Amino acid sequence: MHIEIDEISKQFGTTAALHPVSLAIPSGALVALLGPSGSGKTTLLRILGGLEFPTSGRVLFDGQDATGLSVQQRRAGFVFQSYALFRHMTVFDNIAYGLNARPSATRPQKAEIARRVTKLLDLIQLPDIGSRYPSQLSGGQRQRVALARALAIEPRMLLLDEPFGALDAKVRKELRQGLRDIHDTTGLTTVFVTHDQDEAMELADLVVVMSMGKIEQIGKPQDIRARPATPFVREFIGA
Amino acid sequence: MSDATFRPATDETPLARRALIALAVTGLSVLVLAPLVAVFVEALRDGIGAALQSLSHKDAWAAIKLTVTIAAISVPLNAAFGIAAAWFITKFDFRGKAFLITLIDLPFSVSPVVAGLCIVLTFGANSAIGAWLVDQGYPIVFAMPGIVLATMFVTFPFVARELIPVMIEQGRAEEEAALTLGAGGWRVFWTVTLPNIRWALLYGVLLCNARAMGEFGAVAVVSGKIRGQTATIPTTIEMLYQEYLSVAAFTLAAVLALLALVTLLLKTLLELRHADQLAATHRH
Amino acid sequence: MGRPLVNRSPMPGLGLSMGITLTMLSLVVLLPIGALLLKGANYGLVGIWETVNRERVWAALFLSFRLSLIAALFNLVFGVLLAWVLVRYRFPGRRLLDAAVDLPFALPTAVAGISLTALYAPNGAFGALAAEIGWKIAYTQWGILIALVFVGLPFVARTVQPVIEEIDREVEEASATLGASRLHTLRHVVLPMLAPAALTGFALALARAVGEYGSVIFIAGNIPLVTEIAPLLIVIQLEEFNYDAAAAIGIAMLLISFAMLLVINLIQVWSRRRIGNV
Repeated sequence: MHIEIDEISKQFGTTAALHPVSLAIPSGALVALLGPSGSGKTTLLRILGGLEFPTSGRVLFDGQDATGLSVQQRRAGFVFQSYALFRHMTVFDNIAYGLNARPSATRPQKAEIARRVTKLLDLIQLPDIGSRYPSQLSGGQRQRVALARALAIEPRMLLLDEPFGALDAKVRKELRQGLRDIHDTTGLTTVFVTHDQDEAMELADLVVVMSMGKIEQIGKPQDIRARPATPFVREFIGA
Repeated sequence: MSDATFRPATDETPLARRALIALAVTGLSVLVLAPLVAVFVEALRDGIGAALQSLSHKDAWAAIKLTVTIAAISVPLNAAFGIAAAWFITKFDFRGKAFLITLIDLPFSVSPVVAGLCIVLTFGANSAIGAWLVDQGYPIVFAMPGIVLATMFVTFPFVARELIPVMIEQGRAEEEAALTLGAGGWRVFWTVTLPNIRWALLYGVLLCNARAMGEFGAVAVVSGKIRGQTATIPTTIEMLYQEYLSVAAFTLAAVLALLALVTLLLKTLLELRHADQLAATHRH
Repeated sequence: MGRPLVNRSPMPGLGLSMGITLTMLSLVVLLPIGALLLKGANYGLVGIWETVNRERVWAALFLSFRLSLIAALFNLVFGVLLAWVLVRYRFPGRRLLDAAVDLPFALPTAVAGISLTALYAPNGAFGALAAEIGWKIAYTQWGILIALVFVGLPFVARTVQPVIEEIDREVEEASATLGASRLHTLRHVVLPMLAPAALTGFALALARAVGEYGSVIFIAGNIPLVTEIAPLLIVIQLEEFNYDAAAAIGIAMLLISFAMLLVINLIQVWSRRRIGNV
């Protein structure tokens, strides 16, 4: 799905988290929102997911105005930084949650739900953990379950907030490839937030560098490396 | 776009929110605030003069003096117990710690009437210990020591319950540091431990005192309710009420209600000012 | 060799603190409870059974536990609602409301008892209203229920409040992004997280209500077989110096209470195991 952000701004009280920003994300792209903390990247991601609403501006999904859509209507697969797994439910029930929450008219049959959950467990390469509880999983496993849970609702896009933030360096490397693979298999437009420029450069097709609520530069990783547009970008990726 | 669209995903609709607040406020007003107001309304039914006059009656005075005396004995004893128990439980590792904590908590799950019954059975004139004590001239039941014991029983866990979580959280490092610097045991307690737990101690003592002055069931059973001698404020309230001396009963009740309000006020102040030095969750 | 009873420690005051703790615990709590149990043992199971197995005693026990259960269930629902409103919403008077929740802990039971009676008696403020529709509250089981709701009110609210404060908002957001309505999120995500704490509060409220005496006896009317609670029966037996019977009823109450608390604890252990140690 093609996503267009049109002059979006966000005020929290008197402070501006986002100055009007505009961004077009082509269908099927893997995009990184890169910036230090407080740059507005997470706010932008949450506006896309319907968890925050912009003070002004519009969000367009495939050319249609989606600004007024509620979070439930957006169908954005969202992976939280803390993963936010439901700890009183098994992995299976976590992944099935979005399907079970549908109104009965559109809810799949039990067997169909089970089939889809099994397929997703295979996709994240953890076929045998359906009956476990989140507290019994490692950090990397939890992240992949969160991803599977987001994919289960057949999302129109995938949004990830610091998806590797809580993991140690080795697991981080493995899961980067995992995300790339899942993106390539599903073909979903994917946006992830990170403060780690290596991660952004290595993984994304398109990198959006942000600072102080503004977009500093949009470009392919190699272009940003070769031609930083502002002193901030030069310093931030030069580190 | 409607206003509802801009509602954060983790909020209820404004209508639902207002309904829930209204339900909470109404419920609490009817169930809790109305009885409080009723105490003062009934006490002042015949004017403030009549209320004050009923307080100056000698039985009322005797009851107030007895209740204050009982609290003055049992609360410090329970505070001393609470500090000792919290020190023992949090500064040492020993077998059966969880069991000991359960035993300390036991009085919370025993009916005050059963508590009184236990004390009557132990120290009453027809028990071995009780008979011997009566012979020595120290009756316990139907006398002040019995009331003190009953009061201590029902308020037993208050201070320990408040101190144990706080002292667990604070750990032993500061005391250990003081020991390595050459401080003796008492010095460590007075200069390191006590300053760290003083607000939690005050909090526990406050709740312990409120319950001690207000205890009815256990005291009613052990005291014999002898007017002017073993009748505390709550038992005197009962006797006055049953003699249809409504104003006198409610005036004494108002005294206890004021005590409850002061307790709540101090408790709220402590929670606002020293929340970090109190136990995180409160059970009573 | 097992591990030592007390591990060696550089901390001072072992003897003193252990001495005070064990002495006072024994004197104030264990000795009296032991005396009750000893009395029961001497009286014998048959004796206890014969005392308890009388219509009046059964009626009182059944009344006490039934009304306590209903009151605790009411407080379970209202306590969770109260905790939610106090933690999540901001409105004028919230602090006052928060402090008022503790009033039943602070207000002595005898005071609550006569004041509830004054309110709900046929000529009282609420009692007169109810009387207009032919509803008698004071001196009936309704009155007992209201007194038990009053004394148990803070328990659930106070145990659930800290849990609500610690809920990770992202979990609720995650539920919303997966398409769940707010109601679905509350029912399937939030309530299960509150359940263990709510259950603890429920158990405390129940235990308190079963043993409650002071706030109930004024409003109950105390008619044998109808509005006579179990603790009152004990007091009556004691006033007649009938110690065996008093002890028998006391032990029966303890046994039923402990059995109930045990069941609730087991449910809790089971639910804790399911969601991991939190």
